[in-house]
Amino acid sequence: MNSQRKRIPKIEPFKHRVEVDPKFFDKSWKKLDDAIREIYNHNASGLSFEELYRTAYNLVLNKHGGKLYDKLTENLKGHLKEMGKLVEAAQGGLFLEDLQRRWADHIKASQMIRDILMYMDRTFIPTSKKTAVFELGLELWRDIVVRSPKIQGRLLDTLLELIHRERMGEIINRGLMRNTTKMLMELGSSVYKDEFERPFLEASASFYSGESQQFIECCDCGEYLKKAERRLAEELERVTQYMDSKTADKIANVVDKEMLSNHMQRLILMENSGLVNMLIDDKHEDLTRMYDLFKRIPDGHSTIRSVMTNHVKETGKTLVTDPERLRDPVDFVQRLLNEKDKYDEIVSVSFSNDKAFQNALNSSFEYFINLNNRSPEFISLYIDDKLRKGVKGANEEDIETVLDKVMMLFRYLQEKDVFEKYYKQHLAKRLLSGKTSSDEAERSMLVKLKTECGYQFTSKLEGMFTDMKTSHDTMQSFHAALSGNTDGPTISVQILTTGSWPTQPCATCNLPPEILDICEKFRAYYLGTHNGRRLTWQTNMGNTDIKATFGSRKHELNVSTYQMCVLMLFNSDDGLTYKDIEQATAIPHVDLKRCLQSLACVKGKNVLRKEPMSKDISESDTFFFNDKFTSKLVKVKIGTVVAQKETEPEKQETRHRVEEDRKPQVEAAIVRIMKSRRVLDHNSVVTEVTKQLQSRFLPNPVVIKKRIESLIEREFLERDKTDRKLYRYLA
Amino acid sequence: MIDPEGIETLCSHLDVPHTDVRILMLAWKMGCEKQGYFTLDEWRTGMKALRADSISKLKKAFPELTQEVTRPTNFQDFYQFAFRYCLTEDKKKCIEIPVACELLNLVLGLQFRPQVEKLINYLKYQNEYKVINMDQWMGFLRFCNEINFPSLDNYDEDQAWPLILDNFVEWLRANKN
Repeated sequence: MNSQRKRIPKIEPFKHRVEVDPKFFDKSWKKLDDAIREIYNHNASGLSFEELYRTAYNLVLNKHGGKLYDKLTENLKGHLKEMGKLVEAAQGGLFLEDLQRRWADHIKASQMIRDILMYMDRTFIPTSKKTAVFELGLELWRDIVVRSPKIQGRLLDTLLELIHRERMGEIINRGLMRNTTKMLMELGSSVYKDEFERPFLEASASFYSGESQQFIECCDCGEYLKKAERRLAEELERVTQYMDSKTADKIANVVDKEMLSNHMQRLILMENSGLVNMLIDDKHEDLTRMYDLFKRIPDGHSTIRSVMTNHVKETGKTLVTDPERLRDPVDFVQRLLNEKDKYDEIVSVSFSNDKAFQNALNSSFEYFINLNNRSPEFISLYIDDKLRKGVKGANEEDIETVLDKVMMLFRYLQEKDVFEKYYKQHLAKRLLSGKTSSDEAERSMLVKLKTECGYQFTSKLEGMFTDMKTSHDTMQSFHAALSGNTDGPTISVQILTTGSWPTQPCATCNLPPEILDICEKFRAYYLGTHNGRRLTWQTNMGNTDIKATFGSRKHELNVSTYQMCVLMLFNSDDGLTYKDIEQATAIPHVDLKRCLQSLACVKGKNVLRKEPMSKDISESDTFFFNDKFTSKLVKVKIGTVVAQKETEPEKQETRHRVEEDRKPQVEAAIVRIMKSRRVLDHNSVVTEVTKQLQSRFLPNPVVIKKRIESLIEREFLERDKTDRKLYRYLA
Repeated sequence: MIDPEGIETLCSHLDVPHTDVRILMLAWKMGCEKQGYFTLDEWRTGMKALRADSISKLKKAFPELTQEVTRPTNFQDFYQFAFRYCLTEDKKKCIEIPVACELLNLVLGLQFRPQVEKLINYLKYQNEYKVINMDQWMGFLRFCNEINFPSLDNYDEDQAWPLILDNFVEWLRANKN
């Protein structure tokens, strides 16, 4: 029972005997103080790291950390003040070098001192919240050396001076610069910013402000931009070489602002060398440079775009309103295509296919092409020309390319329905005169239009092609049926479906009996195989090959149907008056006059002689068969005096028809919209209608209003009784 | 059935010219359908409403009738009636410009003299429209009621005004001097 009370022997830690030496601190400190001096004197090799460490350790252990710290601080301050004086004393160019050297020394010393005082760092510092030893060293260096009144200013000035000299072309010691800025960075980014970066940026701003002013007075835009580009590259390179990387953006902003932003307007609008001149002269390299540089500054691109847009609109407007240009539609369109090519290239080469620029161009083109209300007609004529003659020396691919380009212009048209009307007319002429150079190209064009505008646009056109083919087949079987009966004239008929072809009012005409005969044979044949159809001869179209004998010479003449009727009369009479001819043929005045003019008044084609010999046809004239007619060619083609472009009255007629056609389309759109919305206010109706029709034409709001009123009158719509801005659909 | 001659007689008894607006008001009160004719039913209806059974009582009823008509709630109805009353044939939906001008003068002349004068001038001057339909007719009243005249500062072409009024305003503005 005694064992319970047995005491377990405690093992107590071995206690060091506490030194109560009053001089303990001073002795210890002296060791450290001396050591530090030796370190700063580059004499560290003779020291014992272990002993010094232990000394410091003991001090901190014996609660002398605070005192130690204070002593250390004082000590360091002392050393640094000395170093500072030495640096101050450095002469001119050696200043930076000296500073660098001393800095390197100090760092090394600080590291050693930190190592020695590591224990204090780890135990005393955190609790007392004082700055750690190494950091303390940095702070003191900053305050005593770098920010010393005699050094601070001189340091900055030296750095800026060197940079300035380098900008002016001198070679400087970049390594030294790098080390100096590194030092500042190590002291803290705010030190770097305050002691160097901020003043550097300010000085740079004023430098570039001056330089840019100088350049802009003596350089043209292209040269200036080159210089700016170079300076920008230089500055960025400079930063990578001897500054903190974060300075790059900041200095770039300074250069951008001073060299570019401040002079943007003046540069772009510079006479003889600004943006407009670059565009005119296709200066792709300069444009690329401008695009790249101005991307960096606010409103840079938008300003370029707006100046470019205005220029394109202006030149475009001049192009389309120049009366000289309007004389030759094919040339007119070719110039438009050339203009488009030019700007497409600029956007692709210099503006990296930037969508915003592409759009700006598109809207400019759309603007000026529609300034001339004959643009739809002219574009159709251009296509007509290409399809008739083919593209010179081009193969299938090239024709495709040309047509694709024309389609781009087509897209800009606001009055696509006008284009449709003309295209139909021109196509009809091509098909009927057999003047199309490539069936492939015609079809290809049709496909393009269908893709662009939908089936309705091209269904009638396709009908025309079908008619041609069908006619061809019909003729073959007709001739087969006739076979053997080769007396009299041969006929070739094209049967056109009304509605697919552009309507022509057909006037009277008395055909010669021989012709009538064969025509009737055909009619009988056709109606025999096609029940319930009606054929009407279009005597205002068509042509004839007719053999004529002039004295001893025989020629074959190719003439229009009307001309043929007139000429056949001279088989029974040598001379006929205008009135005679008119009575016999029943051809309307206007057409008859044109017809006679081309037979009697055109040099080289005058198979008839007119008395009197005046230029114009009058109703009192008399006509004689001209047996003195000569021609080098055996086959002579006598065309009718006709203009390819529309005459004024024809133009009015076409436009009138287009306007009339638009009315039902507008009404249909209004009804569609009102049917689905039931109730809608006026402005919304206008907006919706415009949207629905914009692929064909741009409806005039006044026209829309008129159609609405017409629909109200016909009781398709009514005005809302309470809110007069609204319309209601009446079922 | 009272025919046009009879109406003229009636008017002379009443001491009112037969083109006077009061006759039109009377027609309205009676609910007349055909211009120039009063049917017996219409006559009876009118007299009953006016509480008149003699010429003198009818004459005395006119001032009250005028007041009744010009009350805003009734005026629009009266105005619309005036147009329909002038449609001479069954199927017709429009009245000729000269007739419209006369009618405007008669019906709106008192209340809106300046507008009516200008409007009549314009209608005679323009040649785009040869007739006026009901929609346009009602538009005129709305115009007089809503639009500041002669400043026209609150007229907005983008609103659903009949086109003829858009053109009228344009004409007015162009001829400001």
